[in-house]
Amino acid sequence: MAAPTINEGAAVHHKPFFLWRHLNKLRWLTLIIVFAMLVLLPFLHIYQTYTAAHAYDLLSPGEKQLYDVMESIAAPFVSDPAEDLDAVKGNTWSGSFWGFKISDPLAALGQVAASLSLYWPFLLTALVPILATIIFGRFFCGWICPATFIYELNSNFASWLRWAGIRVGNRRFDKRIKYGVLALGLILSAVSGSVLAGVVYPPAIIGREIYYTIAQGGLGAGTIFFLGTLLFDILVARRGFCRYLCPGGALYALLGRYRLVRIRRIAETCNDCAKCNVVCEFDLDPLRDGFGQECNNCTACIAICPTDALTFTIRPSDYPEQGPGHLGQLYRKQQATEDTDAAS
Amino acid sequence: MKRRTFLKRLIAGAAMLGTAALLYGVTPLLAPRRATAKRNYLRPPGALADDAAFTAACIGCGLCGEVCPPRCIKFHTRDGSATVNTPYIDAAEKACILCDKCMEVCPTNALTVMPRGDINMGLAEIDQTACYPWVDRGICGACVSICPLGKKAIGYKMWNQYRPEVRAGCVGCGLCVEVCPHPSVPIWVVSRPNDIKV
Repeated sequence: MAAPTINEGAAVHHKPFFLWRHLNKLRWLTLIIVFAMLVLLPFLHIYQTYTAAHAYDLLSPGEKQLYDVMESIAAPFVSDPAEDLDAVKGNTWSGSFWGFKISDPLAALGQVAASLSLYWPFLLTALVPILATIIFGRFFCGWICPATFIYELNSNFASWLRWAGIRVGNRRFDKRIKYGVLALGLILSAVSGSVLAGVVYPPAIIGREIYYTIAQGGLGAGTIFFLGTLLFDILVARRGFCRYLCPGGALYALLGRYRLVRIRRIAETCNDCAKCNVVCEFDLDPLRDGFGQECNNCTACIAICPTDALTFTIRPSDYPEQGPGHLGQLYRKQQATEDTDAAS
Repeated sequence: MKRRTFLKRLIAGAAMLGTAALLYGVTPLLAPRRATAKRNYLRPPGALADDAAFTAACIGCGLCGEVCPPRCIKFHTRDGSATVNTPYIDAAEKACILCDKCMEVCPTNALTVMPRGDINMGLAEIDQTACYPWVDRGICGACVSICPLGKKAIGYKMWNQYRPEVRAGCVGCGLCVEVCPHPSVPIWVVSRPNDIKV
């Protein structure tokens, strides 16, 4: 039996652009920047109130220290902190950048449900995120969401626990539960007349809880809820809240169902090692071309792939299943049997 | 469809909905409804007049609090049930300076930009049995001097130049409440009666 020449011409096959495998680092950087901004902005606000009151001499030593640190951060960028620092405000739930307002699509949808009316100036603030989601899919979940930053660290913590011999949960549920959470949230919002979806939505919780803690003198109720989700992720299901329960994730997944930018597997260079499936936080199946609407383009699978067999593509749907990777044993066996069949 | 599969799907669907409902059931427990004081408990300026409409319009983003120069806007962080995360002002602790920043930054129509005279946070009310000049215990006038709206909102009573009286132009910012030196704070803000127009 002639040994099949492995991957002849594979080098010609799409070699992914070399930067793609470093995008995961960039993603961590953006997550850290978003989170750091959420921490910094309340401190800057406190500093603003001190400058507005011209009250430096009346501040306590600790407050003076805060003032000095914030002044050293802000001084290069602003001349009148009390006014100029208003340029960037808010969190990922709703923010304002030099007067340009951006809101979470879930905030817009939840508010429409709660007030049963359309207020266009507010709905338009969700336009940019909606368009970006239609193109890039559920990217918010992987690249921006401040809760993801904590959830992924929490996943790593759970793997350490497992490594230390402590049992952590890895149950699987139906991913469609979160669409139920979204639908029920909108119905309950309409019934109760308040934007309830935002109360169980981790990025909104994180944004406001950081603000409450720093500038409002204490944690809110959302922190307890969020700690509950962290425990759920460790004890019951890895990344369980994002996978199965998050109403915002559900909305983003629906919006990004026909996203143009998606990850695909290059079967010619895949060796079936399944590292992509293991690393995928959302329990997807890159190994068998199963990305679907849940994929958030986080690029963790691209980063870990040892043979560079994952890359980006521009297509409104996933590749149909391409079968085993050409560098894997399964494919070679198949080829061998086909060869012998052809010979006989 | 077979009856067995139908029942299975029904149960699975019910379990999914139950999980979702659990999520929304937990949060009101974490932020129980509490009786709030009627006095000095104000919504930020420009808030929708109907409080139910305000709760429906507010998404709880905290932007109004984050731009507030005197940091008077607080939030229902651990109470309020359905109104959790909505803003309020406790005038006795820290009052609104009517700077308009919160109205401008609010992404929704919960706080709408309006001229200062149209703002309706409430109406100040003076307890004439406690206020120093009203009980002839001295001269004060702190509330009158602090008022950002001047004569049309609060002034001295005719014939007695020291006794303050609230007028129809008051928008209820609560600065008079914050500044009142009397230990029992005999001035407070109540919701505006319908017959007193600005």
